[in-house]
Amino acid sequence: MTAVAQARIRKRVLPSPVTGQEVVLAGVIAALWAALAVGTPAFLTAGSVQPLLVATAPVALVGVGMTIVIITGGIDVSVGGAIMVCSVLTAKALVGADVGLGAAVLLSVAAGGVLGLVNGVLIAYGRVHAIIITFGTANLFMFLGLRIFGSGTVNGIPGTLAFFGRGPDGRTLGIPHAFLITLLITAAAWWWLRHTAGGRHFFAIGGDAQAARLAGVRVQRRVLLAYVLTGLLVGLASCFVIAQGTSTLDQSVGSGKELAVIAAVVIGGTSIMGGRGSVLGTLLGALLVQTVVSGVTQLGWRSQLSDLFVGIFIIVAVGADLLRARARRNR
Amino acid sequence: MRPRFAAAVALTTTAAIALTGCTKKNETDSGVTGDAGSKTYKVAFVPKLQGVPYFEAMNAGGKEAAKALGNVEWLYQGPTQADAAAQADIVRSYIQQKVDALIVAPNDPDSMAPLLQQAKDAGIHVATADTDAPNSVREVFVNQATAQGIGEGLTDALLKEMGGKGKYAIVSCGQTAENLNAWIKVQQEYTKSKYPDAQIVDVVYAGEDQAKATQMATDLMNAHPDLTGLVGECTSSAPGVAQAVKDAGKIGKVFTVGLGTPQSMKPYLRDKSSSAAILWDVENLGYLTAWAGAQIAQGKTIEATNNVSGELPAVTYDASSKMLLLGPALAITDQNVDQFDY
Repeated sequence: MTAVAQARIRKRVLPSPVTGQEVVLAGVIAALWAALAVGTPAFLTAGSVQPLLVATAPVALVGVGMTIVIITGGIDVSVGGAIMVCSVLTAKALVGADVGLGAAVLLSVAAGGVLGLVNGVLIAYGRVHAIIITFGTANLFMFLGLRIFGSGTVNGIPGTLAFFGRGPDGRTLGIPHAFLITLLITAAAWWWLRHTAGGRHFFAIGGDAQAARLAGVRVQRRVLLAYVLTGLLVGLASCFVIAQGTSTLDQSVGSGKELAVIAAVVIGGTSIMGGRGSVLGTLLGALLVQTVVSGVTQLGWRSQLSDLFVGIFIIVAVGADLLRARARRNR
Repeated sequence: MRPRFAAAVALTTTAAIALTGCTKKNETDSGVTGDAGSKTYKVAFVPKLQGVPYFEAMNAGGKEAAKALGNVEWLYQGPTQADAAAQADIVRSYIQQKVDALIVAPNDPDSMAPLLQQAKDAGIHVATADTDAPNSVREVFVNQATAQGIGEGLTDALLKEMGGKGKYAIVSCGQTAENLNAWIKVQQEYTKSKYPDAQIVDVVYAGEDQAKATQMATDLMNAHPDLTGLVGECTSSAPGVAQAVKDAGKIGKVFTVGLGTPQSMKPYLRDKSSSAAILWDVENLGYLTAWAGAQIAQGKTIEATNNVSGELPAVTYDASSKMLLLGPALAITDQNVDQFDY
């Protein structure tokens, strides 16, 4: 087969590199930023955009894993509990054992990987729907996290993780490290999901697991991998969470984060039914949500309005997805 | 599909049982030392939330009081999340146990009122501490400080640093938290009357999320470049606003105060990103709560001024509002932060 023919086939098989939802999202974000730049002059300054990107990072990073999980037709509602376990473990290590940056990240990522493995094994081999398993593990993780907290907060966390933080140590050439890392991981995942057989398998599983199995996809291993990856990313995101917080970590850490992550994924255009989705959209979804939250605060509007806007975005995104699915069926 | 569904049900129920089993675990710390003949009174305290330093410090104070009083058994249990329904379950279990006095720091004062009535009907003496349920049958409310005391304490501490003038903003937490809103109202009125050159430009709500509080404080500084003060209204936003000032490199330009626990505020008080934490002695509040519980359990009347302990020699009681007042608010600064171990 000639290279030209191969390229033609690839063009036919692969979906377009950027989905319609992503174009719309990028447009909405650009319009919002332009409007906010007019409405509140400080919005587009470095002092405002840098913290905004830092705040986007943990949700977007976990969102990469969540997108893959949702593409396979699953879901992981335990990431909030997992963030709690990883961050309290890491914070305690930072305070008690005075570990360095590298060791702290390794510890957190390893802990996240173990929690992801628990989810993955139960879902891939237990054959129970992911929402039930992860709902169970969410509570177990929270219980575990509370036990590690003991009866108190973790105080006096040193600035070891400032590399990922909001402060001057968290930036190189003005770009926040946390966001840069998230961007690179998102790009790698985008390439992997789009251009490798292993990546395409996730879509096949989400489309029709039985057909994928018959086509030779090792479904269980792929599903397991999706949850382990999510766990590893939760571990890294927990380091970002510690770095963005204060020198005290309390029990509210991670609480509700699973909903924030799923919101970013859904707003990003990934179908909650599986089989379709993109990590790029998730990054844009997370950025849109944080833009709205920061924008509402900077404009001096009432805080609860950001909940209203995010709710509208989710409904519009899901509605658009359903309309697209209907259009495909009627074709 | 059938067996899969059955397995799912089995799994969730087991998880649920395992979980409730864990959260329901009773933490009964009894300080029973009294004479064998005399009656021991069971005084139960239900905090808003268990496992946070604030209420754990109250618990420590309560235990200490039980030891000192001799005839009190101190019971302490709260929900693992600040949730009104979970708290109601614990209150019901104490009603079933027929404790002698039941003291609650309600998450939702309105839904707690009928439960307190139920407890009273069962012959239990009821009270509130930390947060009041004003429209209930409670016999006494143990108040840590008046809204006036806290609101004015926060305002004075901040405006002292700001030189009595300028713009500042408040980062609050729960939007419906009655005590926080009462303090904010005092801050607004007091600022207007005492510091006419100062102005509160915004009040935002971050929930109990530290990272969100920090981000909102950052956004507020960006939206108002001439902002010179920030108030963190609760224990998660008090360190949050200080961290935001520190990250933005604005220590000395933007001043912060907040309602923070001493240990969590210590690093910020040290590097001057926080000027002062306004709080009260939480252990003493727990002590006073246990003491009040013992008083009502025994049917004793509370005097206008009470000698509770060495540290609390003259606690005032207002009979018309049935309120015991711990005392004036306490300013925790770089100077005295080391005296507190919570």
